Amino acid sequence: MEKESGYTWKLGMFVTIGLLLFIMAVYFIGKQQNLFGSTFHISSQFKTVSGLEVGNNVRFSGINVGTVEQIQLKNDSTVRVVLVMKEEVRKFIKTDATASIGSDGLMGDKVLTISPGAKSQKEIEDNGQIASVDGIEMHDIMKSVKKSVDNIGVISDEIAIFSHSMNNGNGALARLVKDDKMANSVSNTLSNLETGTKGFSENMEAAKSNFLFRGYFKKKEKEKKEKQEERKEKQEEKKEKQEEAKKEKEEKAAKEKEQKEKEEKQKQEDAKKAEIKN
Amino acid sequence: MIVAIKNTFAEIGETTLFAKRFFKEVFIPPYETKEFLKQCYVIGYKSLPLVAITGFIMGLVLTLQSRPTLVKFGAESWLPGMVALSLIREIAPVITALICAGKISSGIGAELGSMKVTEQIDAMEVSAVNPYNYLVVTRVLACTLMVPLLVFFADAVGIIGGYVGINIHGDVNFYRFLTQIIQSLEFLDLFPATIKTFFFGFFIGMIGCYKGFNASNGTESVGQAANSAVVTASLSIFIIDMVAVQITDLFF
Repeated sequence: MEKESGYTWKLGMFVTIGLLLFIMAVYFIGKQQNLFGSTFHISSQFKTVSGLEVGNNVRFSGINVGTVEQIQLKNDSTVRVVLVMKEEVRKFIKTDATASIGSDGLMGDKVLTISPGAKSQKEIEDNGQIASVDGIEMHDIMKSVKKSVDNIGVISDEIAIFSHSMNNGNGALARLVKDDKMANSVSNTLSNLETGTKGFSENMEAAKSNFLFRGYFKKKEKEKKEKQEERKEKQEEKKEKQEEAKKEKEEKAAKEKEQKEKEEKQKQEDAKKAEIKN
Repeated sequence: MIVAIKNTFAEIGETTLFAKRFFKEVFIPPYETKEFLKQCYVIGYKSLPLVAITGFIMGLVLTLQSRPTLVKFGAESWLPGMVALSLIREIAPVITALICAGKISSGIGAELGSMKVTEQIDAMEVSAVNPYNYLVVTRVLACTLMVPLLVFFADAVGIIGGYVGINIHGDVNFYRFLTQIIQSLEFLDLFPATIKTFFFGFFIGMIGCYKGFNASNGTESVGQAANSAVVTASLSIFIIDMVAVQITDLFF
């Protein structure tokens, strides 16, 4: 009997540890797949799942919180994806959260990402549904790249035509670039223009001192001065107003009348002068 | 030539009958519990050091060997997952089974062969003890149940070996290492491999018993029984492995 128990406990230990290893492996792998522990389901509908498969990870804020349990076609343009998620993250997922499909690295598996919404405070229910955001597909990128490449093709064609006509054509630009005579005549024209405008500005100066136009220029200066005076008067008036409101008002009215009369006279004079000039 | 083929078929037929007898007698009392436990001890516990050392070296070597290729692809972080996957799926079951074929199958073949030669089996029959029930059923059953357990040990020790292998070149936390392994494993990796090991165990025990039980009279036949038990068991392990992988591949 003594001898028997000598090996029995060793055998027992061997069997126990062996089975324990197996159970641990099953438990940890199962935990990975959310088989144990409380879970809840949510679903979302996509136009395309771009290669998402059952068993792919579900991420929320970058943490793996569940797996894809089921992918089924609902109709020709809708795919329903059912997710199984850990119960403890349910309180963080609100009803306006959105699901999107991305990939984990360049070569990695597809990953379903749940992004939090902004407004809702209501946490999602079991078997609830959340909205989906269509991810950027490779062929979408390719489409836009193709569009710009096509445009570039058109542009380069036109540039080719343009440069060809520049080099070989007889147009104005081509002659300007290629022909020495043309360039010389353009530069001559420009220098003529320069001297012409100089003379013109001298003429203008001369016209100012001419007796026929002198009146016009003087009148302009006068008007400027009067305007400045008026501004000064108004500023003074404002100051006086604050001091003596009533009296000032009367005086002001008188002044204004005078000013108006003056202005009318001036206008009449201006008109007369203009008539003379003409 | 034709006689040789006929003999081969005859042997296969006899083995099948021998196996059929096992399934019949395993349910018929008396149950030889004490002998069964003793065989479990001999087959399981006594093989543990051998299996553990092999498993450790396998994990270590596999890690070191596959490291350069993965580094080339910049996928060094997949190393733990890959090593654990190949250990659990293929290497630990097959290597453990081969070692058991060498150790257990030859042992059983030699033991039963010498019992047969010295007419102890006949003596049992005379003394109203069913020799098949007492010798074969206990051993085959013990083999079938102990080999999977040895494979679990080999898996665990092999993973530790892989950890050591990784830490020769880099520095990976043990917890991080385990997380990476568990992340890369599925039930599909564990269960078919486990089911496979039951078949390995059954065939190791069965072939050892058959060779020993049918040893012809004469001392040299004991060695012959042991030898052919090892060869046949090893061969059958590879064949079962191939079939099992094919079936797994077919269904999943």
